[in-house]
Amino acid sequence: MNYDDEILMAYADGELDTAQRAEIAAALEKDPGLARRVEKHRALRAEVADAFKVVVDQPVPERLVAAANGDTVAAIKERTPRHGKVLQFPSKGARSAAPGWGVREWGAMAASVVLAVVISWRVFAPSAPGPLAVNGGALVARGELATALDRQLASNQGLEQPVQIGVTFKSRDGNYCRSFTLSASQTAGLACRAGGDWRIAATAVTQLPAGQVQQAAGTMPAPVLAAIETRIAGEALDAAGEENARLGGWDR
Amino acid sequence: MSNGTEEIGERIVELLPRLRRFARSLSRNQHDADDLVQSAVERAWKNSVQLRPGANLASWMFGIMRNAWVDHVRAGRRRGEVPLPEDSGSHPAVSPVDADVAMWSVSEAMSNLPEDQRLAVALVLVEGMSYKEAAEVLEVPIGTLTSRLARGRTVLAAALSDERKGDTA
Repeated sequence: MNYDDEILMAYADGELDTAQRAEIAAALEKDPGLARRVEKHRALRAEVADAFKVVVDQPVPERLVAAANGDTVAAIKERTPRHGKVLQFPSKGARSAAPGWGVREWGAMAASVVLAVVISWRVFAPSAPGPLAVNGGALVARGELATALDRQLASNQGLEQPVQIGVTFKSRDGNYCRSFTLSASQTAGLACRAGGDWRIAATAVTQLPAGQVQQAAGTMPAPVLAAIETRIAGEALDAAGEENARLGGWDR
Repeated sequence: MSNGTEEIGERIVELLPRLRRFARSLSRNQHDADDLVQSAVERAWKNSVQLRPGANLASWMFGIMRNAWVDHVRAGRRRGEVPLPEDSGSHPAVSPVDADVAMWSVSEAMSNLPEDQRLAVALVLVEGMSYKEAAEVLEVPIGTLTSRLARGRTVLAAALSDERKGDTA
């Protein structure tokens, strides 16, 4: 009796039910040709499985662990254009994040949000030292925001802290920039070093309830991500890079 | 909710070694494979609301890997990219270690398979999934999976035996 290749393959893979398995096993006893075909299936399976099995024991690159944890840094690195590489992985998300919106549109939106934030601080907390001030025509960080931008490390910050630092990177003009979230006011933003101040480059409303820390890549507001993407040179700093930059007083 | 997302993160981290192996068997080098894993994991986070409690995370994640890979292959084709004859540049596919040479030769042979056969071979032979699990990831009936697997194996066996003949010649 002749058997087609699929059933012999399924036998070799242990995919047949008891009755079929017994039937094939009996046929193999009588026909060495069939037995050889089954043996070829097993040998190929073993060869292919063995060829790739070393990969599971290799250390997993840090960028993948970060991405698996829903880390924003990984999302930004992934969106950063790579130069001089033939094969690129354009992420769909990177394109759909801002359909038809360029830097100008996001900039306009960010500016209007900044204005709204400033107005609401003026109105609701006229006497408290706010996180922002105007210096030489630019909005700059003050108070606890400035302190956090100066001192706090994303790699080592408590979830209870009012300012959460996101990514730190060097901008194309060589200055350090850091993204931040003010959990109490549901505001996220980007600040860059300029003349000894942290100048606010963008702010936006976070999509999370107050007090909850942004975790997944998608929760950093698009205007802030867009502001990061237009400025970032290379990749975001890792924990050691962040600490070195702080030790250097954020000097370029 | 925050517990839920942390848990998903942990479970995806646990899957990373297998996702990298699966990606490596679909790509021509580890660097492209890791780009694929990263792109799929980020896609998973964007779509994590689709994941219902009790759903099989591994099967969902492998399904996202499949989609990410198919999109990548098609995008490359649209841009007129043809597979490089040999991986060149800063990410050497071949190193002097025997295990790497074995991986390289199977990888090259697999890169000649049509997409659907390559996926079937990667899920069943490399990842060791049952036909049922692999069919679920690929969203095809089991009969379709087995015929793709059988055709893929035939081509692969021929390519690898040709290569061995070439080596000894």
